[in-house]
Amino acid sequence: MILRVISLYLNERWMNFMANIKVIPCSGIGKVFGLMARETVLQVTNKLLKDTTETVCLAHLVTGDYEAKEKVEGFTCITVDGCPALCSAKSVELAGGIVKKKYRVIDEMRQHKGINAGTGTELTDDGWLIVDEFAMKISEKIVEIIEEEQKNV
Amino acid sequence: MSDKQVGVISCSGEECLGGTLSRLATRKVMENLRSKEVVTLCLPLYIAGGDEEREFAREYPVISVDGCDKCCAKRATVKYSNEVKDSINLSEIFSQEMMLANIVSGRDLKEEHYEMADQVADEICRKVDQILAE
Repeated sequence: MILRVISLYLNERWMNFMANIKVIPCSGIGKVFGLMARETVLQVTNKLLKDTTETVCLAHLVTGDYEAKEKVEGFTCITVDGCPALCSAKSVELAGGIVKKKYRVIDEMRQHKGINAGTGTELTDDGWLIVDEFAMKISEKIVEIIEEEQKNV
Repeated sequence: MSDKQVGVISCSGEECLGGTLSRLATRKVMENLRSKEVVTLCLPLYIAGGDEEREFAREYPVISVDGCDKCCAKRATVKYSNEVKDSINLSEIFSQEMMLANIVSGRDLKEEHYEMADQVADEICRKVDQILAE
């Protein structure tokens, strides 16, 4: 009986762990790429994979607060950066997150050359389309990661 | 670079409405209201070690704009560059509960949210003008 309770408890903890993949954007304020990273992640965490992913405030994470660090340390993380500075990826790794995939908006934009995606304030209709497409791509990858992690349990 | 410039560092927090409003207000000030006087500093880059950003914050007055009581933008500026010249905490203007709401995407914002962002933008401008008048 005790073993069964322990097993159920561990299973529940593991399922919670698995269900909490962190997806963290840079949200850079200077250019449209930062806004695209932000909106892409919000589309994943708040709409497409609401039950299995969540985001974390990058600014809070990098202050070094224990409460913020605890949210990523040892967790599977996906980072979405706007530019090659890779602020999100570097900061998440530093906080102990296990970064399974690093995305960059600039790479995504190479497939949409000449398209005006908007500004750091707001996206154009084309910008939103790219965000939705990018969010789908990231979600598919996350599902793959979850399936892979479940196989290795 | 003109001597008459003020840096604004916004938190852009991804988990709550306060971050979204901070970001929107800061962008509005930078793009429309005080485009010549205000430079915005990218907080993630600033914290990740952006030399130019940190140097600017050491040399020029900085206003931090935070979405919630954690005040990450203010704390980061103090930690890596200097004291902030002034600061804005949206949970003091509105309420912490309201600022922690999970409305974060631009898609979900309503007219009332844009009005709140305008109010914050006006507050930033008031502080910028005060600093420039010193």
